[in-house]
Amino acid sequence: MSAASGLCEGCWRTIDEIVQWAGLSDVEKRAVWVEIDRRRDAA
Amino acid sequence: MTGPVALPSTLAVIERGWLSSNNVLFDDGDCASIVDTGYGTHALQTLQLVRAALGGRPLTRIVNTHMHADHVGGNAALQAEYGASISIPPGQADAVARWDEEALSYAPTGQYCPRFGYDTLLEPDSFVDLGRLAWQVVAAPGHDPNMVVLYNHDERILLSADALWEDGFGAIFPELEGKSGFAEERSVLEWIDRVQPRVVIPGHGPPFVEVAAALDRAQRRLDALEASPERNARSVARVMVKFWLLQVRSASMVDLTSHVAGSRYLKAINERYFADQTGTAVIERAVAELVAGGAAARHGDRIENLDD
Repeated sequence: MSAASGLCEGCWRTIDEIVQWAGLSDVEKRAVWVEIDRRRDAA
Repeated sequence: MTGPVALPSTLAVIERGWLSSNNVLFDDGDCASIVDTGYGTHALQTLQLVRAALGGRPLTRIVNTHMHADHVGGNAALQAEYGASISIPPGQADAVARWDEEALSYAPTGQYCPRFGYDTLLEPDSFVDLGRLAWQVVAAPGHDPNMVVLYNHDERILLSADALWEDGFGAIFPELEGKSGFAEERSVLEWIDRVQPRVVIPGHGPPFVEVAAALDRAQRRLDALEASPERNARSVARVMVKFWLLQVRSASMVDLTSHVAGSRYLKAINERYFADQTGTAVIERAVAELVAGGAAARHGDRIENLDD
């Protein structure tokens, strides 16, 4: 985890997003993916 | 399928990647249990994930399906944080007690694992209570001679560890050194087919309900490996290169070769199956196969891990 951003350095997700991931629907997972792409682009 | 797999409310899956195994958390009322704890270099993230998922409840029990470094690497950190007890399959109890890194596979694979001890044993055919459900401990050799899986008959949920994934299963390591593993894996797949789980929670990848299709894929893969043990050896070489890339993310070909070629498993693969080739050639081919499959990228002398 990156201490500065609070994101996983491999998958660009927050702790809460990783914890919840397996319980998300495909629609919800896609919403997180949009957020991941945004974070990657911003970095 | 669009929705997540329905699971009992006392069970939560933290789906990790391929370096760390999944972690399955169980709500035991005032306390909690976990099955498998990920890889050692991820231990800090594992602590953070478990803390977030537990919401203040203490973790009192750690249960491991087998002793591979990607399943037990968070044991020491979680035990230090919560004082949780550790339960392991009996096959390698002595190796854990004296921390025999050779027998535990950390030395021959070149993998990192912080030392831990165990408190109780998971005897095959006994039951453990996790999340207010009774789980039968079932011996599941093949990938690892001492692995166990956990099955709840009421909900028909299988924690399959590395015996069955949605697409395949863990590499059959015993065959590399001339021991039996294919026949054992076949028996495990046949047992899974007989008990007909409703849900499988694998050691890696998402939980799934299309169990018959997964068994079909696994059986066909096993047929192919058994018909060509060389193919199994090549697959293990790829697993070892990929595992190292997952840790370092990017490496020069020289560094990668010197790390992987030094491991006993790679030497065993080399001597047994590809005696006419150098270790470097075996690794070069594994890298080329990973690149072809989209699991790595090569830029000149530099090899990078690819996740997607």
